Amino acid sequence: MAGKSGRTIAHVPEKSVKKTLLCWESMLVVLFIFINIFGQGISPNYQASNVLREMPRYLAEMFLMLPMAYLLVLGEIDISVGATVCLSATMACMVCNTGAPFIVVILTALAVGTACGLLNGIILTKFTELPPMIVTLGTQIMFRGIAEITLGSGGSVSLQNTEGFRAISGRVGGLIPYVFFVLLIFAVIFTVVLAKTTFGRSMYAIGTNRQAAYYSGVPVQKYRLIVYTVMGTMAGLCALFLTAYLYGANTTTGNGFEMDAIAMAVFGGIASTGGKGRLIGGIISGFVIICLRVALGLINMNPQLILIILGILLILAVMLPNVSAQIGQMRKKAMKK
Amino acid sequence: MKKKVLSVLLCAAMVATLAIGCGGNGGDGGNAGDDKQSTSDDANKGGDDADKGGSDKKVLAVVPKSAGNPYNEREVAGFEEVAKAAGYEVVVKYPEQATADAQQSVIQSLISQDVDAICLAANDENALQASLEDAMAAGIKVCCMDSKVNAASRATFVNQAGTKEIGETLMEAVYDLADGEGKWAILSATSQAANQNAWIDAMKEIMKDEKYSKLELVEVAYGDDEPQKSTDQTQALLEKYSDLKVICAPTTVGINAAAKVLQDKGSSVKLTGLGLPSEMAEYIGEDDEHSCPYMYLWNPIDVGKLGAYVSIALVEGDITGAEGETFTAGDLGEYTIVDAGDGGTEIILGAPFKFDPSNIEEWKEIY
Repeated sequence: MAGKSGRTIAHVPEKSVKKTLLCWESMLVVLFIFINIFGQGISPNYQASNVLREMPRYLAEMFLMLPMAYLLVLGEIDISVGATVCLSATMACMVCNTGAPFIVVILTALAVGTACGLLNGIILTKFTELPPMIVTLGTQIMFRGIAEITLGSGGSVSLQNTEGFRAISGRVGGLIPYVFFVLLIFAVIFTVVLAKTTFGRSMYAIGTNRQAAYYSGVPVQKYRLIVYTVMGTMAGLCALFLTAYLYGANTTTGNGFEMDAIAMAVFGGIASTGGKGRLIGGIISGFVIICLRVALGLINMNPQLILIILGILLILAVMLPNVSAQIGQMRKKAMKK
Repeated sequence: MKKKVLSVLLCAAMVATLAIGCGGNGGDGGNAGDDKQSTSDDANKGGDDADKGGSDKKVLAVVPKSAGNPYNEREVAGFEEVAKAAGYEVVVKYPEQATADAQQSVIQSLISQDVDAICLAANDENALQASLEDAMAAGIKVCCMDSKVNAASRATFVNQAGTKEIGETLMEAVYDLADGEGKWAILSATSQAANQNAWIDAMKEIMKDEKYSKLELVEVAYGDDEPQKSTDQTQALLEKYSDLKVICAPTTVGINAAAKVLQDKGSSVKLTGLGLPSEMAEYIGEDDEHSCPYMYLWNPIDVGKLGAYVSIALVEGDITGAEGETFTAGDLGEYTIVDAGDGGTEIILGAPFKFDPSNIEEWKEIY
């Protein structure tokens, strides 16, 4: 698959085995294995069946991480997704309660999410100088506001008919939740597109230098619009699965999801400054974070303490490349002398 | 060279993770002294003991609405007292936030831990159904206290006081303080708290009576059980309605915030509602110096105790949660399970208790 520049994948220099082993992603794999051993060490209840049963709620959040990684690679951010999840879930529940067939409910969730994402995308591509952080902060407040008005004074909506949602929250063989497979499919698609297609490579080009990408013929604004819209669609999908576990929506639904998604991506080595990182890292780090949360939950650790630990880990993960680069530079200087 | 440095750093990070993980664990143990998470620590030890084949204690879990809520903590204290005295392990598991979403994760974790019973104060009536059905399918006995979950998600519900009794009591108090006529407002917690909404609906229902026709409910404000927001909402009420006579706050956080605002301003607006005696003592008095002439509450320690007795009775198979069953709850006496009117059953602790200047000194020491 040749890129527009004529450079083909075959021309990319091959990496040495040592370098592959030392990359952040393989470190995350080690960390993942380590956390699983750690989990089994601290609690006899840390078993595959239990972890898989506790996982779905967090897996729903990982749907957000996939397009969020694209945005981070672009050097942008979307903090309105938590609110989009809330609005999509609210609308899906409302439609479900009118007795509409389940396929309509699914389409509603996805359509509302897509519409929210599209709105973000249109604002940000029509007015290209606006900072995404501020625009999506605005739409975040807006979407949540709309959801709260829709929810009315009660502040929550509950499903009267949970049949459809029960179906999608089922498990294969009573063990692996459906959401796991859906996530897997999307994860593969998103990873391949980002790593192996012209579209994906353009993400890195735009994230590294938007102007240069524009002048070399990358349709920057079109691609940004696509990514923001897909972000919304995935938020709709997240809402759908979340509703399947909560049988309803309320004003706090999706609270903080945007930050969890960003944390997963950044911990996976995707730089928020743009142009760096691979999606596989984000996916592994998502599972690392989920397993750590489940393990610490099983020993009934104070939930606030768990959040503190996750915070420290995140800062360490961001700090590492910086520190190693600094040390490397110092060494070089010392060697020159 | 660079690669070596990188690898060393990464290894250091791994060790750091390990240290943090274990350190966190140790910190948890360190907390044991100040009773907040101590029980979980005990539970861990219990688990270890079980491995050695020493202890086969049954485990009762209690899930409050959130950490740092004094009212919830009293309930937990009551629960622990009874359950431990009866020889059970207790796991207290606070959710990350005061949301149903966070409680959902907590319940899933408790299912993994294979506890024998879960007693929870729910943040949302319906949102926990999927998880609690999982729990019941796994053989865990589920009951709730303070704020209920829907009938399909529970065996039974420990109701601190009948919704109708609370509505009647509070309405009568508002009528008395307003001298039978004028404007009054409600300061509630969050707009989706099941118990708050049930009481407010009950008050609105009772207000339809001819006796209360001259009273006008101008607004239901929501302070979200946050002191600052409750304070802001109280001030907003005072500004919006200059001829307001009474504020009724059926939430401990709200009444405390409102009492301070009214007393500091020397406002003539009178306050009543549901509050903790220890927090409200300085505001309770008949004269104009004090903002709250009297208020009500049940004993949260007793709510927790009854929750524990119900959990134990469910675990031991003494009751199943069906209407008409009776059981003895230690020194609280004999209780009968009654129909809750929502398709499920409940156990009513008793009528709300009145706190006024004559007894507040005595009660403020207790809770």
